[in-house]
Amino acid sequence: MSASLEKGINALKEVIDAPIASYFNSCVHCGLCAEACLFYTETDDPQYTPIHKLEPLRRVYRQEYTLLGRLAKLLGLSKPVTDAELAEWKPLVYDSCTLCGRCSLVCPVGNDIVYMVRKLREGMAVAGHAPDGLVGASTRSVETGSPMGVKLPAVQAQMRHVQAETGIEIPLDVEGAEYLVLMSSMEIINFPEYLGAIARIMKQAGKTWTLCSTGFEATNSGIQIGVSDIAKVLVQRIVDGAEKLKVETVISPECGHAYTALRWEGPNLIGRPYTFQVLHILEVLDGFREQGLLRTSGLEQAKLTFHDPCQLVRRGGVFEQPRRLLKMVAKDFVEMNDAGKMNWCCGGGDGVSAIEEAEPLRLQAFQVKKRQLEASGAQTLVTACANCRIVLEEGLEHYQMNIPVVGLTETLAEHLVQGE
Amino acid sequence: MAITDDGDFKQAVDDLSRAAQRLLAARFVENVLELGKDARLKGVVNAAKRSDITEDELALAFQSAKAASVDSYTQCGHQCDWDSQAGHFVAQAALACLKPEPGAAWEAATHARMARTCASIAGGSGTDNSEALAQYRIVTEFLKS
Repeated sequence: MSASLEKGINALKEVIDAPIASYFNSCVHCGLCAEACLFYTETDDPQYTPIHKLEPLRRVYRQEYTLLGRLAKLLGLSKPVTDAELAEWKPLVYDSCTLCGRCSLVCPVGNDIVYMVRKLREGMAVAGHAPDGLVGASTRSVETGSPMGVKLPAVQAQMRHVQAETGIEIPLDVEGAEYLVLMSSMEIINFPEYLGAIARIMKQAGKTWTLCSTGFEATNSGIQIGVSDIAKVLVQRIVDGAEKLKVETVISPECGHAYTALRWEGPNLIGRPYTFQVLHILEVLDGFREQGLLRTSGLEQAKLTFHDPCQLVRRGGVFEQPRRLLKMVAKDFVEMNDAGKMNWCCGGGDGVSAIEEAEPLRLQAFQVKKRQLEASGAQTLVTACANCRIVLEEGLEHYQMNIPVVGLTETLAEHLVQGE
Repeated sequence: MAITDDGDFKQAVDDLSRAAQRLLAARFVENVLELGKDARLKGVVNAAKRSDITEDELALAFQSAKAASVDSYTQCGHQCDWDSQAGHFVAQAALACLKPEPGAAWEAATHARMARTCASIAGGSGTDNSEALAQYRIVTEFLKS
């Protein structure tokens, strides 16, 4: 056994906890999780059945933590998990799983398959079987603070660009501000309009806010690749920044997994509760709406629909907020089939879009989104995740569908009552 | 009237017809075209500059600009190459030229500025807003013509 494989197997042994043991014992092999996974439904390939993706973890569990399994191992009657097998499983654990959570939701015995895949990724990463794209992103996150190599001068350049465009000063490192606004590298690089929208909305709402020079990045590639130590470092940076600036609320940007990482997993990763609250930008905006601090005028004329990012709606419960917000600016809003908690993933979440070799499969899986959109008759697709946005645009371009994709925050900002 | 700030800029371009906005926006893109490496963009700009272009030709140019824009996104988790990203914003500016909605000229202008910002980040200098000044000159000349 190679040293890396041994470390990987040890990591798998360590991550197997009571929930995982009960999940494996509870599985009734019904196959419902297969029908919930877009990589299975769009390929009809049984290897993409979610519970099957966990086979190496199941074997380690059985061989290490069950009486019969241990006996079989002792007698040389069980098949050990090998390096070659983990290499074979890499596309199943990473390329074809966006951790979207649809499988967990439909499981009749309540198995959280996403939780299990995350744990399997821990062992895969330690054994050296994480995809190069995610390894690179994680390395850059630790070294530069951003999975895409964005450094503070680039953020400052974008701040100046947005200041010039909006005429509003973008605050940096303001102690005592109410809100700390985080961004994803995707927004810094591809969607500067997000920061401009935040500036205009905060100005209208009369709220104080700031960016943080040592914690501007919201995304967490440690969560995606499955390395808790990296995930913890990245969460800690934000916590340090928020506590240094004494903010009341940290706003997670239009990014799915960043929200999961920071809001739901963060306190467990750092081992203590936060001294501030974490909200997704849509939760903040809906709060402003409720308090009368978000005032819009005019309506979008095109027929709009909303793509629910998996980590927001299914893992985070943010369902009503975007719909209430869209109601403010949409003349004609239509839901896609399966919208809300059963929405289909864009196909590129939780690191899949960073894996180049996964692209053909991702585009094949996009067919489910194509069907949803075609059935809806929508003319514009609104979402609230920068990664979803690009994956959707690529899929639409691939299938020659001319439907613009826009972010909800910027759409609202376009309709703010002028002069406020 | 000489345009010297964004307030005058926006007011001046808002009053223009859709066709005039497209012609002006094309000039903004032309000014940053050197930052984009996608060969399709030159064709898009040439199309946008034609006052006799048909709706079908506009639609074709729009598709081409859209494809160039989507192809040049920096993917989530990939190392950002700011020079390439400048090219993406040139494509976005070209796409804005051809959008049927109002406000094409201003949108193209902001994307062109972002292209210059990306190029300056790649060069290690950050932005100095020079593209805005260049655009003020372009608008002033356009309004005179």
